[in-house]
Amino acid sequence: MIIADQKPVAEIKGFIEGKKKVLIAGCGTCVTVCLAGGETEVKNVASALRIAFKNDGKDVEILEDTVERQCDDEFVEPLLARVKNEGFDAVVTLACGVGCNFLSTRIGPVQVFPGVNTSFLGSNEAQGDYLELCAGCGECILHLTGGICPMARCSKQIMNGPCGGTSDGKCEISQDIDCGWYLIVKRMQELDILGQYDEIQAARDWSKGTHGGPRRLTKETAAMAAEDDAAKES
Amino acid sequence: MGESGSKQSLDENLKAPCVAACPVHTDNRRLTEYVAHGRYEDALELTLSVNPFSSVCGRICSHACEQECRRNNVEKPLSLRMLKRFIVDNTRDYRLARRGKIKKTAGTKGKKVAVVGAGPSGMTAAHDLAKDGFSVTVFERAEKPGGMLSYAIPKYRLPYDIVREDVDDILALGVELKTGFDVGKDVTFDQLKKDHDAVLIAGGLFDSRTLALPGMDADGVILAMPFLREAAEGGTPVLGKKVVVIGGGNVAVDVARTAKRLGAEEVTMICLEGEDEMPAWDWEIQETVEEGIRISNSWGPTEVRTDGGRVTGIDFKECTCVFDDTGRFNPQYDESNTCSFDADNVIVSIGQQADISCVEGSKVKIAGGTRFEYDRATLATSEPGVFASGEIAVGPGAAIEAVAEGRRAAQAIAHWLDKGDVASIPGTDMPHVGELPERVAEKVIKRDRTEVEFADPVERLTNFEVIEPCFTEKEARQEAARCMSCTLGAVVDEEKCAVCLTCVRVCPFDVAKIEKKAVMPADECQACGLCAAECPAVAIKLERWGVHEMKNRIAGKLERLGGKPDKFLLGFGCLFQAETRDALQNDPAAVKSDGIVRISVPCTARLTVSDLLAPFELGAGGVTVIACEGDSCQYPIALDRIERRVKEAGGFLEAIGVGADKIQLMKTNGPAETEWPKILSEAREKLG
Ligand SMILES: Cc1cc2nc3c(=O)[nH]c(=O)nc-3n(C[C@H](O)[C@H](O)[C@H](O)COP(=O)(O)OP(=O)(O)OC[C@H]3O[C@@H](n4cnc5c(N)ncnc54)[C@H](O)[C@@H]3O)c2cc1C
Ligand code: SF4
Ligand code: SF4
Repeated sequence: MIIADQKPVAEIKGFIEGKKKVLIAGCGTCVTVCLAGGETEVKNVASALRIAFKNDGKDVEILEDTVERQCDDEFVEPLLARVKNEGFDAVVTLACGVGCNFLSTRIGPVQVFPGVNTSFLGSNEAQGDYLELCAGCGECILHLTGGICPMARCSKQIMNGPCGGTSDGKCEISQDIDCGWYLIVKRMQELDILGQYDEIQAARDWSKGTHGGPRRLTKETAAMAAEDDAAKES
Repeated sequence: MGESGSKQSLDENLKAPCVAACPVHTDNRRLTEYVAHGRYEDALELTLSVNPFSSVCGRICSHACEQECRRNNVEKPLSLRMLKRFIVDNTRDYRLARRGKIKKTAGTKGKKVAVVGAGPSGMTAAHDLAKDGFSVTVFERAEKPGGMLSYAIPKYRLPYDIVREDVDDILALGVELKTGFDVGKDVTFDQLKKDHDAVLIAGGLFDSRTLALPGMDADGVILAMPFLREAAEGGTPVLGKKVVVIGGGNVAVDVARTAKRLGAEEVTMICLEGEDEMPAWDWEIQETVEEGIRISNSWGPTEVRTDGGRVTGIDFKECTCVFDDTGRFNPQYDESNTCSFDADNVIVSIGQQADISCVEGSKVKIAGGTRFEYDRATLATSEPGVFASGEIAVGPGAAIEAVAEGRRAAQAIAHWLDKGDVASIPGTDMPHVGELPERVAEKVIKRDRTEVEFADPVERLTNFEVIEPCFTEKEARQEAARCMSCTLGAVVDEEKCAVCLTCVRVCPFDVAKIEKKAVMPADECQACGLCAAECPAVAIKLERWGVHEMKNRIAGKLERLGGKPDKFLLGFGCLFQAETRDALQNDPAAVKSDGIVRISVPCTARLTVSDLLAPFELGAGGVTVIACEGDSCQYPIALDRIERRVKEAGGFLEAIGVGADKIQLMKTNGPAETEWPKILSEAREKLG
């Protein structure tokens, strides 16, 4: 899932200085699971902001809302309606960057601020412990590397590792980071496919990653016919 | 075992075993909760709402609830009967004032009911019928109401003023009581029936059973019931030095102990049953032995020896087996093995039987012996409009069972009077969650059952004073804290659950699990609330605790205290640290002078980060959380969790310039009475 980390409240407060009525909007999916932006975190951030503005002697109304997902129209519509009807002059979203983008392109002349730093695609290793495992690069090569990703787990994203900086299974960047290629080799040994390791891998086609510009994916077989979609909407 | 395996609580039908086992289904979980919160008056209201004989039950109830309590799976059951006694003993002034306000509802409906017998069954029926608006008159043969409670159970266990406390509440409803009035003698049954729209026979088991033995008519042979009755009335039945009591039940125990108090030097109980088969309750037997009474098992009497018409002793033969294979009473003897006891008195206590003289000459059909025709489901006799309840109808049992049957009788009669026919009245069986699964039980922190020390056995034999002291307030609170709030645990709002696994990971009892969404099986959850306090989706509710609701609670408290004090500081404390309810109170004058407001919670680890920030929103300059240290905490890992949450709240406060040092966690083993003031005044000094 998407892992995010809450921004310091002081930073969030800076975004909304001068505003009168602000909605703190949570998301019930990834950021809830990674304890960064669900209803509970909305309560905490909203409370901290209320205390902060009160101490400044400023009258800022901070309200709360959380929807299932901030990346689907059906879920955000009530949120957008609320912002409009109740006259909010800013929204702080605790959803990942997707949510912030999604709201910003639909909300009209109200600014949406990010309340979290969207960090990576990762796993939940233990309560409160998250690890990046996928770089979202657009073309999976995990079949070549024993299921462990050199794009996400090698600091240098090299295709034919490890580099000379590997030592005792750790990366030269930090003793806290495993060497991705060390993990790959171990795993290949375990699977008895170490032969694959000898093959030199070709350079990546980065156009399928962010280098090819913003990506969009349409699953034709699932999409609705344009006229059906229009009929449904009317 | 009851019905088990239902997933979530909040299902009113899913009861704790203690609640199900109590014939009137007292909600002991609420009772213990009220005691923990210092709400003793609410606890009294709760028990009285289901049991008009609460004072009596606090003293002598056979407490089926305790037998079923799930603490039995951990160490020992809650001392629920004693908690009830604590509640009634500590709310006397409130109860007196309350009595003055009880509405005389009897007679508002215009139909008349006669009740024969002022024992617990008849009086409970009268209570319920009067509440329902019927006009009720209770006719009682004895001079005082209460039945066996007043005339058989010895005063060292149940003083009359305790019975009176309950009876007076019932009479306050407008129930009319005619004592010294023998139905069958002072009025014929037919006349009574003519004068009323319905009659309830609740005459109990008035007579003693006797034995057909040679010598039974000798001087010095006494039957249990007349003996106890005389003693209860303050009489001193003449006794010699050596007394033999025949019987092994609870009544025989009371007889033996009464005889000893009346001066008999050597008292021996002799019964058919072996040591493990004796029908008397274990604790009664233990107290009896403590009082120097000998118990001789497995003997059946053959002959009372006499000399000049007076008892000199009694002979026995060995009883080899009391019950046959089908469990029926069918004693077998070994005639060759005999023994003999010298005795100045023989008291026969082998059971009671009904005196059904009240219906003599009426059309109420007798089923045989001293029983009349009676339908257990409808409580009706053969005669329309005539019902029966209590021991006269169902045989010997405990007082609370008589109360429960009285309640059923009231329902049957009300139905008869309102609808004109008989109805099947639900029994007292109730499904429950069953025992605490072993895997959970082994994780529950063990807490010794709070016991009281009885009066010294030598000392107590010199009089009829009550031998059992009540819990002190500290003891009561300590005992209430042992309740595991069975089935009142966590419930998931499936719509909100994000299946994040937080509950599964933090639950110290390994109870929370995922079945598509998170689920806390009601028969396992310990209601600690740790999961709810950490759930990022606010998807977990607790029956007894408002998750994230602290802001409203504090606001309400400030309002009651006349507004936010100057230099407002908030102290959260665990209410299980308080030995008295006074420690849980905020004295408005003190709050005014030191600005410190206390909020007591059942375990500080229930507090969410937003709960910890809430006081600051309401203008507090600082927050101190006083958590229980080490073993004194109710729940595993609670301290670690609240430490982390205080740290998180501190992080927010630091980020907005308030300072992380404005919130602190302090640990103590209590008591709140001395520790909280110390900790809070230090906080006051530190924060200025
Ligand atoms: C010695 C002893 C010890 C006990 N100890 C305990 C204990 O520790 N715990 C516990 O839970 N239970 C105990 N019990 C049982 C408990 O007392 C009974 O279960 C309960 O009292 C039965 O209630 P009842 O209303 O059916 O009958 P009773 O209490 O017997 O009341 C019936 C009343 O009807 C009256 N009556 C009968 N005939 C007439 C008539 N013709 N006209 C007018 N009035 C009439 C009687 O005088 C009596 O007052 C004990 C019983 C005995 C005998
Ligand atoms: S622990 Fe409490 S709720 Fe559970 S059975 Fe015992 S008294 Fe009842
Ligand atoms: S954490 Fe506590 S309240 Fe939640 S499921 Fe476990 S025992 Fe029940």
